[in-house]
Formats: sequence, C-alpha cells, structure tokens
Amino acid sequence: MSLIEVKNVSYAYNENSVAIDDVSFDLEEGTYTTIIGHNGSGKSTLAKMMAGLLEIQKGTITINGLQVNVDNINKIRQDLGIVFQNPDNQFIGSTVRDDIAFGLENKLVASEEMEAIIGEYVAKVGLSDYLDYEPQNLSGGQKQRVAIAGIMAMKPKIIIFDEATSMLDPKGKKEIKQLMSQLSDNHITVISITHDIEEVLQSDECIVLNKGKLFMKDKPEKVFADAEKLRKINLDIPFAMQVKEVFRNHKIKLKANDLKGMADELWQLNSKR
Amino acid sequence: MNNLVFGKYIPIDSFMHRLDPRAKLIGLFVMIFAIFLPKSWWAFLAIGILVLLALISAKIGIRMIIQSFKPMIMMMIFLLVINTLTVKTGDVLFTYKSFELYSDAVFNTLFVIVRLLLMISLTTLLTATTKPLDLTLAIEWLLKPLEIIRFPTYEVALMVSIALRFIPTIIEETIRIMNAQKSRGVDFENGNLSAKISSILSLIVPLFSVAFERAYELADAMEARGYVPGAERTRYHILRFHLQDFLYVIICVLALAFSIYTRIYL
Repeated sequence: MSLIEVKNVSYAYNENSVAIDDVSFDLEEGTYTTIIGHNGSGKSTLAKMMAGLLEIQKGTITINGLQVNVDNINKIRQDLGIVFQNPDNQFIGSTVRDDIAFGLENKLVASEEMEAIIGEYVAKVGLSDYLDYEPQNLSGGQKQRVAIAGIMAMKPKIIIFDEATSMLDPKGKKEIKQLMSQLSDNHITVISITHDIEEVLQSDECIVLNKGKLFMKDKPEKVFADAEKLRKINLDIPFAMQVKEVFRNHKIKLKANDLKGMADELWQLNSKR
Repeated sequence: MNNLVFGKYIPIDSFMHRLDPRAKLIGLFVMIFAIFLPKSWWAFLAIGILVLLALISAKIGIRMIIQSFKPMIMMMIFLLVINTLTVKTGDVLFTYKSFELYSDAVFNTLFVIVRLLLMISLTTLLTATTKPLDLTLAIEWLLKPLEIIRFPTYEVALMVSIALRFIPTIIEETIRIMNAQKSRGVDFENGNLSAKISSILSLIVPLFSVAFERAYELADAMEARGYVPGAERTRYHILRFHLQDFLYVIICVLALAFSIYTRIYL
C-alpha cells in the first residue's frame, strides 16, 4: 500500500470550470514529488483536497491508510503539514516562538516540553537567533522557514509545499529549496507544487497536470526527455535539459542531468578521441 | 504611523517588565480609583511618588512620558479656559475690568490636569512594559468568570492576539495600496469633501478585499496546523503569580486605601 493514493478524483468549482478531472496516482513514502502545470491546471486544488481544506467531490484520496473525509481529517492532519504561498498569511503567532508553539498547542504538547521542541526545530531551519522576532521584522524567506519549522515540529510524515517559493526573492527561494531536499533526505514525503522548473530536477518524481488532467508522472529526467510533449502544452524545459537536448540533436548522448556533470562527460568524450 | 508613543511596548528588561501582566492590570484598575477619589493634595503627592517610583523601576525615560502627554496639552488649555469662565466660587485671585478669576477655577483645572497626567503615566507604564500578547492573556484571565454564561473567553483572546499580530501587516498593506492608487492619480490630500470620500473609497475597498483574502488563507493555515475551534489545546504561555506580583497589588490597594482615607478625613 502506498502512503498516498489518489483514485479517480474530480473537482469542479462550478459547472463551467472543472479544476481536477479524474486524476489517479500513488506516491510512496519518502519520495520528493514536484507537481507542475500552468495556472488553473488544478495543482493547488489537488493539494487543498489532500489537506482536507476542500471537500472531495468525486473519487477518493487515502493517506496512510485513512480516507480523507470529515471524520478522519483531524487524524490525517497529524501526519500532514502544508506550507502555503503567502508568507504573511500563515504566520499565526506574534513572534517566531509563538508561531511554532501554535501547532504544538493544537497537538496537546505540555507547556514544559514546548521550549525544547521549539529550540530544536528553529535550529533546523537556521533561525535560532530570531526566536523573539515579530513577522514584520523577518524577510519572506525567513517567514517561510518559520512556517516549515512550525510544521516540522508537529512531526508529520508528509509536507505539502503549495507554491511556497513563488513570493520569495532568489535567496529565499534557494534556502527553501535546500530545506525541501533536506526534509526528503530525512525520509519525510515532500510534495511541492511549483512553477520553478529548475526545482523539478532535485525531486524524485514529477507530476505534470494540464487542464485538470494528469498529463505525465515519471522521473524528472524522463519527463524532460520528451521536450516536444511539454512544449505542446507550453511548459518550459530546465536550462540543463535544453543543453542536453541540443547535444542529443548533434548525436552526442549525455547521461548527466546537471551542467557540471555534462561538462565532465564532455571532457572525457574529447579525451577518448 | 510609527512614531505613535502612546500604547507602544518598549522591549527592555526591568522590574516592571517582569511583573505578571495580571498584577499590572489589576494594579491599574485599583489606581484609577485611587486617582479619581481624592480631593486632597496629600493623596496626589503620595500617588505621584508611587507612580514616579514605578516609572523609574520600569526604566522608562522621562522623554517618553512627556511625549505621551503632548496630545493632551490642547485639551488641558481648553479645560482651563472653560473653567475660568464658568467657575465662580472661592477667592478672587485676579480682576481685569469685569472679568474675575476665582481660585476654585484654577484649582479645579489643576486637579483635573494632575489626575490626567497620573492616568496617562500609569497606562503608558502598563503598555510600555507589557507585551500585547501578555496583556491579552491577562484580560482573558480577568474574563474567566464569564465562562459561566458560556462566554468564549479563550476564542476571544485568540482573536484579539491575531488581530494585534496583523496590525503592522495591514498598515503596510494600506501604505502599499495608497501608493498604488497615488500612482494612478488618486489625490488623498486635496479636493473637496466628495472628492476626498471617493479617494478614501479607492483605498478602503481594496483594503477590505485583501483583508478578507488574508482571513481565508489564515483560517486554512490554522486548520492545516491542527486547530479545531472549541477543541482542547495546551498553552505555551502560562502566567505565574510570584511574591513581587502580590506585593505590587498590595501597594496599589494601600494607595487606594490612603486616597479613600484622605477623601473622608482630610
């Protein structure tokens, strides 16, 4: 049994706009999955259904053996955290300390134990010196890191990032992407909904949604191998993959998926001649 | 909007900062009575000394107190004018043609001014040494008896603390929208009344729409982090009454007792 099973799920905001149309897939525990697609392709709708923030109209989603519905949602939320797009609108406490405590209070953690837990997770996101900072004195990237610490402190199995880097500057984006990789290395199942095509390369699996339908689900290098198929739905290809494609057109087959790896291969290619 | 002194928390460490917010809040209520009851200068002298000691122990600069008085100066002058024109009791201090200045007019005004100054000092003392969140907790504690009639004190306290948390965010938003509208030619400063109203509308409508959007997203974020309205939760902040908190309240009660004494016997 997979950790997350999505079966024939559909969702329509109204009769004329179908956001999700008969989507099915399984995700294994510990995988880092990116979901890409255009605005309105249904990415966020899917995430909200998984977190029980939108009622599933058709089909079923099963998380850790429990079907997502009104009866199970409080239990499921103990295994699942979600980081939203806007850093300001998910900062609930008045300071970093209080914001991380908010989830712990909901989880009925005793007050004496909270201090140690807050200290541990704030260190994991590198904000130990900012415990008493108020949100208006933090950058967007720092606020997102606080949100991640608040969710990590609740020890979920799954963390969904709903376009969590889209409102950040390049530095903030980089920090959050590094954290996502770290989480995945620590066997947390990461699902990242993103417009950042470069981020897809650091994930294990990539789901492409188009007009509410599942367009592709495969390893990132395989998804990008068929560049024409993605271009047909106007999706970008990462720069490294474009380079690889050009070489392929010149009958030079490269194995690596990053620029440095390809450069190394090219050196060897020349030395063999 | 950032140079607002009244009601601003000063993040330093002092004896007053460390006191339990409940003790400070009860102390304030007791002192309000102590300030408004007496009619003797002795009582004001005693309370004045206490307030001064509290301000010193809170390490609040005298400049801050003076600044928080500033908005009151116009009101005090107005009060003096009204009193000199209306109060006709006591001794005549000064005569100019048909106008006579009576001693009671001056003394009444002075009483009111001293009371106001003491009040402002005390409230500034409370807000400058107590984090808004701690103040919310103290108010929640004071409202606890209302739970008998099913008043949701905890939810109200949470609401207030979230509202406080979002004030700076909304101010930022307001400035951003004002700038955006200015760049589109909206004039917030000039024009007649109807022009002003329509320019304010161009600020208020987007502000509300954004605030609602924020509220929905915040509700989602709270739910996603396991918040269930009305469900049991543990508390991170737990207020603890210490010996100095009792002493503080007792001193305030003694001040009240003294001012009642002066009201009756002096």
